[in-house]
Amino acid sequence: MSKTASVKAIARSYGAERSLTFVTGLVALLAGAAVLVLGFGWLGTFRAQRPVLDPEVVDWIHAQQPVMLRVAAIVLGLVLLVFGLWLAVRSLRPEHKPDMALDRTQGHGLTVTAAALAGAVQSDAEAVDGVTRARVRSVGDDEDPALRLHVWLREGTDLRRVWQDLDTHVLARARTALGVEKLPVAMQIELGSSERKRVR
Amino acid sequence: MRVFVRLLSTLLGLALAAAGVLLALEVAWQWWRPQDAPLLVPWPSWRDALEGTGWDSTTVRVVAIIVAVAGLVLLFTASAARRRDVRLTDPAPGVTVTTSPRSLARVVGQHVRAQENVTSASVTASARKIRVRATSTLESEQELRPRLAESVSGLVGDLPLVRRPKVSVVVDSPRDRR
Repeated sequence: MSKTASVKAIARSYGAERSLTFVTGLVALLAGAAVLVLGFGWLGTFRAQRPVLDPEVVDWIHAQQPVMLRVAAIVLGLVLLVFGLWLAVRSLRPEHKPDMALDRTQGHGLTVTAAALAGAVQSDAEAVDGVTRARVRSVGDDEDPALRLHVWLREGTDLRRVWQDLDTHVLARARTALGVEKLPVAMQIELGSSERKRVR
Repeated sequence: MRVFVRLLSTLLGLALAAAGVLLALEVAWQWWRPQDAPLLVPWPSWRDALEGTGWDSTTVRVVAIIVAVAGLVLLFTASAARRRDVRLTDPAPGVTVTTSPRSLARVVGQHVRAQENVTSASVTASARKIRVRATSTLESEQELRPRLAESVSGLVGDLPLVRRPKVSVVVDSPRDRR
């Protein structure tokens, strides 16, 4: 089952970063274990005493076409460079806040900026009774943007009523104002938060 | 943990990129002007050292252990960096609602502390399980535990959670030690 747009909007995806860290960890663990197995002589005592840079391997390399090997090594190096840079840039890049394009017609383009959208929905959400604080941002890609709401509720607030209010007032209003049929929304609700008190 | 994984993958990416550049540069330089090699990395001396080191030498073993342990740490970090959101039922199609385990625990904690004869309470919560530890100076565990378990289950049942977590209550009372 593929994730719906609103489920994807819950949080930034860390899939690539996590799987890469996982695979690197697995490779390091297996490589370390393999070297230990070899070194303790479980694959034969004679093999354990051979040098790390085995003369047989060196001879085999010398027997190959030097041009092929060199080209292969250079290509590998360039691939590593591109992949590493892509990974670093991807991990460091802040999450994209897409603007909402209402009309893409050439010359009649109409766009609601991410900040305007977030500000409007945020003030609507904070007007709901029981909501102490709201944070709103747009997420996803430019083609189908979604909203992420982070809402803090006062202690003892009836969750179902707040839901109803948020859905009928805030989200429905956003949908009508933007004139869109559907607007995927992920809501993170913090329950029972006390209002921040300032120490005087 | 999630920020840490992001940092780790950035560093990993930079390390891969640096290794790739050095590999391509060294190979190309050695190909172009073999008499001036090496360019940056002193690989001929590494080669000589590796030729004199056996697989069973202490250095190789120590390095292998360090690499394996580092790999284990990476594995644990990557597995621990998942999100622990508690899903609530969707109020409307296209709307997904979650809450944090922390705020679930906060609500349960506030509820438990408001009960009679509860001196203090600590709560940990996840989407699957809520653990309550309460202390009471006035009531014994036998008396207080069923009451607390029932009221916490009622409270959790009122929340529109996708899956109902199991509730476990432990009561610590000095009356039981007499």
